Amino acid sequence: MSDLTRRGFLGVAGGAALATGLAACAGTGSEGGSSGSAKAGGSSNTIDFWSNHPGKSKEAEQKIIADFEKANPGLKVKLTDAGKDYEEVAQKFNAALAGGSLPDVVVASDVTWFNFALNNRFADVGALFEQNGLSTSDYVDGLYADYLYENKHYAIPYARSTVVFYYNKDVFKKAGLPDRSPESWDEFTQWAPKLQSAIGGGKSALILDDGANYLDWTFQAIAWSYGGGYSKEWTPTFTDAGTLKAGQVLQDWAKKKYVKTSADSASDFSAGLGAVLLESTGNLGGFKDVKFDLGVGFVPAPNGVKCCPTGGAGVAIPSGISAERQKNAAKFVEFLTNAKNTATFTQATGYMPVRKSALQEPSEAAYLKQNPNFKVAVDQLPKTRPQDYARVFVPGGGADIGQALDKIVAGSDVKSTFSDLGGTITAAYNSQVKPKLKS
Amino acid sequence: MTATPQSSSVAPRSGPPEPVGAPPKRSGRPYGEWLLAALLLLPNLALLVIFTYRPLADNIRLSFTDWNISAPVAHYIGFDNYKTWWHDPNAHEVLKNTLIFTVATVGISMALGLALAILLDQQLRGRNLVRSAIFAPFVISGAAVGIAFQFVFDPNFGMIRDLFDRVGITVPDFYQRPGWALFMVTATYIWKNLGYTFVIYLAALQGRRADLDEAAEIDGASAWRRFTKVLLPQLRPTTFFLSITVLLNSVQVFDIINVMTRGGPQGYGTTTLVYQVYRETFVNSRAGYGATIATIMFLILLVITVVQVRVMDRGMRRD
Repeated sequence: MSDLTRRGFLGVAGGAALATGLAACAGTGSEGGSSGSAKAGGSSNTIDFWSNHPGKSKEAEQKIIADFEKANPGLKVKLTDAGKDYEEVAQKFNAALAGGSLPDVVVASDVTWFNFALNNRFADVGALFEQNGLSTSDYVDGLYADYLYENKHYAIPYARSTVVFYYNKDVFKKAGLPDRSPESWDEFTQWAPKLQSAIGGGKSALILDDGANYLDWTFQAIAWSYGGGYSKEWTPTFTDAGTLKAGQVLQDWAKKKYVKTSADSASDFSAGLGAVLLESTGNLGGFKDVKFDLGVGFVPAPNGVKCCPTGGAGVAIPSGISAERQKNAAKFVEFLTNAKNTATFTQATGYMPVRKSALQEPSEAAYLKQNPNFKVAVDQLPKTRPQDYARVFVPGGGADIGQALDKIVAGSDVKSTFSDLGGTITAAYNSQVKPKLKS
Repeated sequence: MTATPQSSSVAPRSGPPEPVGAPPKRSGRPYGEWLLAALLLLPNLALLVIFTYRPLADNIRLSFTDWNISAPVAHYIGFDNYKTWWHDPNAHEVLKNTLIFTVATVGISMALGLALAILLDQQLRGRNLVRSAIFAPFVISGAAVGIAFQFVFDPNFGMIRDLFDRVGITVPDFYQRPGWALFMVTATYIWKNLGYTFVIYLAALQGRRADLDEAAEIDGASAWRRFTKVLLPQLRPTTFFLSITVLLNSVQVFDIINVMTRGGPQGYGTTTLVYQVYRETFVNSRAGYGATIATIMFLILLVITVVQVRVMDRGMRRD
């Protein structure tokens, strides 16, 4: 019996260590355990900027930082690799909230910012700008308004994007199709057999992200074009006729093998594996060397309905750092997104200019003239609309929607899958959001 | 033994005399020995309490709260998280994935490890090189292995695609079909872990009693009987050790799944319990619910480990 006890003890100890390891990393979450400035670490003259370098922008960020340090000799900026995507940055920030060593500036995506705002983890950046004599009036109104909650702005637009319709002009020509994006997804469905035939076996008429990689974002454009969507404010609309129709269209494409979902859709498209790609403007910088004639068009929007979701990320300032650090952070954020640096950043990545005056920058005007594909996103901006709450404001909403769409692509019944999804989103809203809403 | 005034004052005991050289009773140990033992044990015990049992207790406490990982406060909600898990339609799929992944990785990596150990215990040319090659993947990080095998299984450009093309078979889409995706991560983990079971079995084989095998051979026992009746019983302690350590390692695999599939496709195609803990805690921000799943995983492992110990203990006593 003594052997049994000893081995049992070792087994239990090992099991305990592994079973609790991940959750324990998250911290204790004790009542009143807010990270205040006293335990937030950091230095008042070094600005720690956490970024995932959206759109392969590390070099552009480094250049802007060097210019900032030159203009502000008393301040240093430390550029921290905070993850490979927005979700990893948010996870690292969550760990910092528990651990106490907060950054001064952090990239926050359309999906991740709201949970931090709701839990009072981000500062009101609009108020910080005002206190420090900085203006927000030059930011593109719609993009700045995306971070508004309870009359406070929780981020400044930075790497902002829209969905655009990328297409391989060579394949379009071979298929005998006009050199433009379709006017509706029904028109695309008519084109799909010709595109499929023109591009050949083993390749696809359309490449979309898979559910783990932003299909939930791009599919919004398709759902909206059929009059559907994910939610009306906090009420899920997955079983509305338009959303069901869009889901059925997606499934029909999959059944006929017109669509391929991919973990790396941009790479697949640039390798010539698809005729059409629905993706972020932020990919445009990576398509400079593709071996085919690249076309960029508006997202299909029949009858003038706004069907293009905005996306991407802003930059936020944590509420848990000292006032001195927040002041310096605001100064850096304003510099990072001023007209000149907006031009630098957009030209390096393909993201949209977040400043109205950036379009008047001589370098930006010249660049857009030389690169008409980059101008498509700018021209499409008036046709964009804010995303549905179910995706961007419900914690895990985007991931849940992506999983459901994966199932639909694989052949699951559209109505029951969307119905289950509505239940999941409602439960998450009721437990994670509703109790904290102020109105 | 020198008599001391204290020992001479003790009344003589009845019953059989204690054997000569028997260890002294605990109460008879000098105080200094106890102090030394406590001093030696204390650092490890303190580390265990701080880094294992305190987080365990904390985790169990959190499992009864609604903690959003970004929130500064958590509220007690009783057994609500446990009820949610019980009624979660995805919990069944996650448990099934965990079971398939664990049974396959434990069973196959132990069987293959033993087979390779027996083979490379022979006098073969170049065996040291092969031994090193088999062990090498074990020391590579799971994330690196995951990235490398992404290319192997890539349905467009991967090595598997190339091999299948050569024999005219259509390659399955490992990344979009849940069954194939689970096969992919399982195969990848077995490849990485094989070196561990191999090297432990090899060490055990080199420490076994060769005379028993020779005696059985002289008595005319077949190779199969010598394997099952002579070799395997000698390897039982090693098998027991491996079954526990490989099981614990398999259940906590995270890196390969995160790099290769992120728990997908189609939602939960390759999501195991430990990945669901991560997903609920860090992706969905439901840290309280994540702690609940971690606690459930702990209880399942506890039961499995106790059963394993009892079964192996009974087997050893029978031998």
